[in-house]
Amino acid sequence: MRIVLVLFCVIFSSNIFAQKNNILTIHHFWNDKKIVLDENYFLQNEETISFQTLKYYISSIQLLNNKKVVWKEKKNFHLIDEEDSISKKIIFAKIPFDLDFDEIIFNIGIDSATNYRGVQGGDLDPTNGMYWTWQNGYINFKVEGKSTFCKTRNNAFQFHIGGYENGLSTLQKVSLKINKKRPLEINLNIEKLFEQINLSTQNEIMQPCKEAVEIANKLPLLFSIQ
Amino acid sequence: MRKFIYLLFVIFTGIVSFKTIEPLFVIPKGWPKPTYDFSNNILAPEKIHIGRALFYDNILSKDSTTSCASCHLSYTAFAHTDHALSHGINNRIGTRNAPALFNLAWSKKLMWDGAINHIDAQALAPIHNKDEMDETITHVVEKLNESSLYRKLFYKAYKDSIITGEKTLKCIAQFLLTIQSYQSKYDSVMKRQTTFTNQQKNGYKLFQKNCASCHAEPLFTTNEFATNGLKVDETLNDIGKMGITHNVKDSLVFKIPSLRNIEFTYPYMHDGRYKKISEVINHYTSSVQPYTNLPQTLKMPMVLSSNEKVDLIAFLLTLTDSHFLYNRAYQFPKNILITTKDKH
Repeated sequence: MRIVLVLFCVIFSSNIFAQKNNILTIHHFWNDKKIVLDENYFLQNEETISFQTLKYYISSIQLLNNKKVVWKEKKNFHLIDEEDSISKKIIFAKIPFDLDFDEIIFNIGIDSATNYRGVQGGDLDPTNGMYWTWQNGYINFKVEGKSTFCKTRNNAFQFHIGGYENGLSTLQKVSLKINKKRPLEINLNIEKLFEQINLSTQNEIMQPCKEAVEIANKLPLLFSIQ
Repeated sequence: MRKFIYLLFVIFTGIVSFKTIEPLFVIPKGWPKPTYDFSNNILAPEKIHIGRALFYDNILSKDSTTSCASCHLSYTAFAHTDHALSHGINNRIGTRNAPALFNLAWSKKLMWDGAINHIDAQALAPIHNKDEMDETITHVVEKLNESSLYRKLFYKAYKDSIITGEKTLKCIAQFLLTIQSYQSKYDSVMKRQTTFTNQQKNGYKLFQKNCASCHAEPLFTTNEFATNGLKVDETLNDIGKMGITHNVKDSLVFKIPSLRNIEFTYPYMHDGRYKKISEVINHYTSSVQPYTNLPQTLKMPMVLSSNEKVDLIAFLLTLTDSHFLYNRAYQFPKNILITTKDKH
């Protein structure tokens, strides 16, 4: 009986340890304000911006220690959706509880091999609205909303950033140093993207193109670690 | 003893019934390996069954008036005979000719401009196109999940009645993959089961000399893309593959279609501009435009006498495959869709 109790304690405590560092939480910010959909945020000159959709893929997560990969994720693709708070918590399954790591690497978007593999399920299911239909391929990063800067119908802007071939690849890699003492929390600061876009002239991208590649190149800079 | 005889009988009937089951997919002798990776979507009769039902079901369109079969008719090699451009809901007309469908497991990229790289994703294009079904896959899947008929069918196939986009599209792909044409007169001649007439034989020689570089045997297409020197139709201004790749060398480049069942797949070309095979041949003998990206083989016009043109057509008609055209497994699934229509 005592043994069982000890065993129980060991298992229980190891589970607690395991949970210490195996949840990656993502927060979306406009400067220091947490993003709330349809809420107005200020751009320069009292112009405003609000968001209706902020959705993107994170894939191929790896943990490194001293620049060596110490853990790779098996299930590879995560659809992060501002609207769905559960999607902003990624749980790493089967990670050794005593694993040491000081860096995280992941991709924003879906790699080209997966784009050639046809239709897939789960986070990759085409019903998630992250798959182009007239030309196939995943939308890696989708941000839609309204801004007084846009002289479009309903002041709307739409950026669907994707593309994996014909020299128009939009897959991006992010590498972040980890503060070991804190839980894994990553921030995405969307204002960093809109500081670099002139919404009055550029407010719609809906296909693979050079402009989409330019925006994709800016995406890694939006991510930081707490 | 009686038990033993009974057992023998069971085994025997088992073997007999097993033998009479037609294979789900055939790689005809001498054909290349299919490009489709079946290991990611293993064929099963129940899934093909669902795909066939969906192919014929208007549920895929926004206003429940249009199905895949509206433009792809089994009796005419799944082409839209006599219709130059594809049709959609509310009498909308598309910009390209609905192609024939068969031997798709060998295709590389789909659509006239190669916009789709995988047969599993193909159905998304017409479902979402405003001029075709004007629906979304998300809504289609919602409708299917509300249908007791489809929930039952998916449960049978997957042991799970929850319908997803992936399952829906892979079932449609399974049906499309099983649409095969390999039993024409040409195929029988190749297997030495019959012979060409002299006229067909001469036509075959002319075909090999003039057409086979793009329309290669046994598929009668390389499944590649090329420009064939057609004048631009200024009412459509279709630039072809360049619209996808943004590369000038893909200007006016379109998919090379198979010539199998050409007797029924008229009108021809990506915009359905020619009604007769003879018009197509006349294009290659006298109206090919000198585009810089024209394939080497089309740089010199084809030279054919009027008798030779007739012989060539005689050969092309040997590519008609009536086993395929009248195959009941490809036709409207009355047993599923009519008897249970009210249950939608």
